[in-house]
Amino acid sequence: MNYQFDFHFLEGSFGSLLAGLRVTVELALASNVMGLVLGFLLCLLVMSRWAFVRWPAQLFIEFFRCTPALLQIVWFFYCIPMMVDVYIDPIVMGVLALGLNLTAFNAEAYRAGVQAAPKEHIDACVALGLKPWQRTFCVVLPQALRSAMPVLMTNGIGSLQQSALVAIVAVADLMYVGKSLATQAYRPLETYTVVALIYFALSLPVARLVHVIERRQELAHQR
Amino acid sequence: MLSMRTMAAQPNIPPAVLNFTASSTGDFVQFRDVYKRYGENLVVMDRMSLDMRADDRLVIIGPSGSGKSSLLRVMMGLEGVQGGQIGFQGKPYIFGEDAGRSKRIDAKLQKQIGMVFQHYTLFPHLSVLGNLILAPVKVGGLSKAEASERARMYLARLGLESKLHAYPSQLSGGQKQRVAIARALMLEPKLMLFDEVTSALDPEMVIEVQNVMLQLAEQKMAMIIVTHDMHFARDIATRVVFCAGGKIVEQGTPAEMFKCPKEARTREFLEKVLHLD
Repeated sequence: MNYQFDFHFLEGSFGSLLAGLRVTVELALASNVMGLVLGFLLCLLVMSRWAFVRWPAQLFIEFFRCTPALLQIVWFFYCIPMMVDVYIDPIVMGVLALGLNLTAFNAEAYRAGVQAAPKEHIDACVALGLKPWQRTFCVVLPQALRSAMPVLMTNGIGSLQQSALVAIVAVADLMYVGKSLATQAYRPLETYTVVALIYFALSLPVARLVHVIERRQELAHQR
Repeated sequence: MLSMRTMAAQPNIPPAVLNFTASSTGDFVQFRDVYKRYGENLVVMDRMSLDMRADDRLVIIGPSGSGKSSLLRVMMGLEGVQGGQIGFQGKPYIFGEDAGRSKRIDAKLQKQIGMVFQHYTLFPHLSVLGNLILAPVKVGGLSKAEASERARMYLARLGLESKLHAYPSQLSGGQKQRVAIARALMLEPKLMLFDEVTSALDPEMVIEVQNVMLQLAEQKMAMIIVTHDMHFARDIATRVVFCAGGKIVEQGTPAEMFKCPKEARTREFLEKVLHLD
């Protein structure tokens, strides 16, 4: 390969990359807040004792898990405005699409966490005279959140990566800015490398943290 | 065939005539024709009747599936029964479903029973202190300071005061079971139930847990213990009860039971397990 790397052209584009990065971080943060809160509520619905509550919630989860995220984003951008006939800010739409997708995946993570709490602990709670709501809030949920944490964080990083998909519907995120710079300067290799490194730098610390938490939980489990 | 017979017999128990009168002996715990089955066919308690005094330490022995653990789980209120009644401290405590009452268990009496399980049931997200004070604060109405004071006292008694702020994952198996015993004692129960509490432990840790139980025995704590350790049964029991097939086959003092059991079924079982020891 005798390609000459040249990053100089990016010097002037620092500001626009930063603006794109800001949009990406906003999208990721907002969709994570949404996914963490709504995912928890959805998990409660899925675990309901009533089938008429459980079924629609499960259907929601399966819809988001079984269709491509890209399609979900495109659908939100083109179909919702047509259905409700109002203009909605593209970033809000992006947060909605990414957030609901994350909600579905996080609900499953929460559910797995709740189910991982040993049945014997419920017996112990009964023996200690704890009421059902005290069992839930003092014993089951704290454990469930701990065991769900690594998956929730991994889903969170996934959502950051997925946010790049909104570039396709012209939201000016990091990916979109990168794409424009690459075509303007005819330097796709350098531009996409830099953009990739930024995504990498954002995700790596969280990924490492997940690794550390998992190690600690494993060790605690072994003893 | 067997289940058909027992199922047919079960609705004939007249619940109304059972009353739990305070008598001088055996009124602390009274099982009356307690009947429990899982699904349609598996009968785990086949009209069991049993009496226990307040100073008794009952050790239940028997092959697996004989209804030993069910007896404890029913007494704790973890599982319901289909037929019969159970009295506790001279009062009606648990009713079988056939009694036609909406309330099947007296929650006030239930609070006076503590239980320790085979598997570690300490809550891993709470420290030893947190595990100990959870129920006294949430259920017993104690302040945190009062509960912590009591926790310190019990841990000191069990030789675990240095572990007050440790987490369950930092404890050995034996220490975990001792903390579990302390946790059950925190609510000052009148009766303690032990469900094979040493069977998941390494041999050298069995002793430390058994010593704690012997210490409780010295303090005249009423206990029902399910164990496979016949030597320990002999040491701690005032009475040994042998169960098989959901029925109480035989009961007596440890000396009677281990030296000269009357029933062939008991002899057969004891020969097998004592030989293994």
